[in-house]
Amino acid sequence: MSFLTGAAALLWVLGGFFFLSGTVGLLRFPDTLSRLHAVTKADNLGLGLILLGVAVHGASVVLAAKLLLIWMLALLAASFSAHLVARSHLRDEASRDG
Amino acid sequence: MAELLGWVFDALLALALLLLAARVVFSPRLFESIVLFIVFGLLMAIAWARLAAPHLALAEAAIGAGITGALLLSTFRELVIGRTPSPEAPRVLVYRWHGLMALLAGGLFAVLGWALLSIDVPTGPVAGEQAMALLARTAVDDAVTAVLLDFRAYDTLLEMGVLLLAVLGARAALGSQGPASSDDLWTDGEGDTPMVGALVGMLSPLIIIMAGYLLWAGAYGPGGAFQAGAVLAALGVLLRLTGRIVPAPRAGVVQRGVLVIGMGVFTLAGLLTLATGRAFLQYPESLAYPMILLIEVALTLSIALPLVLLFSGSAGIAAGRSQHSP
Amino acid sequence: MSQPELFVLVAAVVFSIGVYGLLSRPQLVRRILALNLMGNGVFLLLVAFARRNPDTIDPVPQAMVLTGIVIAVSATGFALAIVRLLYRETGEAGLGENRAP
Repeated sequence: MSFLTGAAALLWVLGGFFFLSGTVGLLRFPDTLSRLHAVTKADNLGLGLILLGVAVHGASVVLAAKLLLIWMLALLAASFSAHLVARSHLRDEASRDG
Repeated sequence: MAELLGWVFDALLALALLLLAARVVFSPRLFESIVLFIVFGLLMAIAWARLAAPHLALAEAAIGAGITGALLLSTFRELVIGRTPSPEAPRVLVYRWHGLMALLAGGLFAVLGWALLSIDVPTGPVAGEQAMALLARTAVDDAVTAVLLDFRAYDTLLEMGVLLLAVLGARAALGSQGPASSDDLWTDGEGDTPMVGALVGMLSPLIIIMAGYLLWAGAYGPGGAFQAGAVLAALGVLLRLTGRIVPAPRAGVVQRGVLVIGMGVFTLAGLLTLATGRAFLQYPESLAYPMILLIEVALTLSIALPLVLLFSGSAGIAAGRSQHSP
Repeated sequence: MSQPELFVLVAAVVFSIGVYGLLSRPQLVRRILALNLMGNGVFLLLVAFARRNPDTIDPVPQAMVLTGIVIAVSATGFALAIVRLLYRETGEAGLGENRAP
């Protein structure tokens, strides 16, 4: 096993760990906002680490640039949908209280 | 080692697919069923990738999960709008004889599984070999695109007819009354968040570039008119959700043209090949690549617009406001 | 069990679950979901069957399934439009006595 493969494997395991903790948070946290917190933060970091691992494994600049673009788009989609879910949650709470 | 890991992955994937399919049918809440069906579609995309079918993975993620999910959710929204949630626990309504039906479905599975697994594996390439032999003579390098647009172009032509019929049918059902509500689906009438404008501004050009890339890539790799059309349709859904386009009671001349241009160009190409003494849609070799490309561009447009119209539930679409004061 | 055999079995189970859902649920959107499950089972079967021969990747079933996916979404869109029409006309989206939203 070459050094690059080993480094990539380490990054994948790390990324998998963050995905796992994000999912545990999604399932175990008590309310909508903290669940969102777990999913958006941990999963995006996990995705970033896994893509970094793929980039290291592929050892090509073009591939790395494509993967970076994918990660950026995923971050954009995640932050936007988290924002909308949180907004709708706050609105529901407001209408329930008042 | 890698083989074992692959097998474990496949087994987990298969298990997840089965659990999701069961939950889609058995979940007490319709909303949960719909969301789980979307997740099922996404896992199907992974299954396609595992089965060495990247075309299908792309199409499934964009159409099977994306567009179908959007259609289901917008219908769900109309079904629950203005309905007060009932206080009692939700229950799944089932017919009285569902136990017998479950038994029959189980028996069906047993027979199907036994019959399918007892079919012998063919020893050599059969239909695939013919397609591959034909591929050597077609203008595009990608086998699936060659089958869709050259080898079995007839299927694709008729498929466009089905899509057009579906839109006309939906229009006959809904078009006379117009959409039930033309309010913005995301904003609840309270105005955009600032992020909506930023997202639409960033994503729209990227989605168009992506669709163009997929269309172009179809000649030599995974991609093509279907995937590109689905991605464009996703842009339409995004614009509809954010109020950038709104339902219109009638489709203008341009929209009608876009609806039929795929069928039109395809049929015209077929007639031209007939007129030059060839078989229907048997392209002359020197012109095959430009013809296929032209047909694919037309198909992309004629796939995207019907899907947007089905989502919008209206006969046509029109430009909505671009700015919204909160 | 090889990979194609595994997915052939998954296809058979998904199809059967879809048949059960189609027959036992009066709610129309659920029936459309069940029909889509059946369709996905058939698609999976076609491609997994083609994969049983390891020598080639057969593009014909893949192209057929690609066509099928687009037809499935247009049929689903049409069916949902009919459900909407029924709901607007009658306020119901189910069949028979067990009507439900």
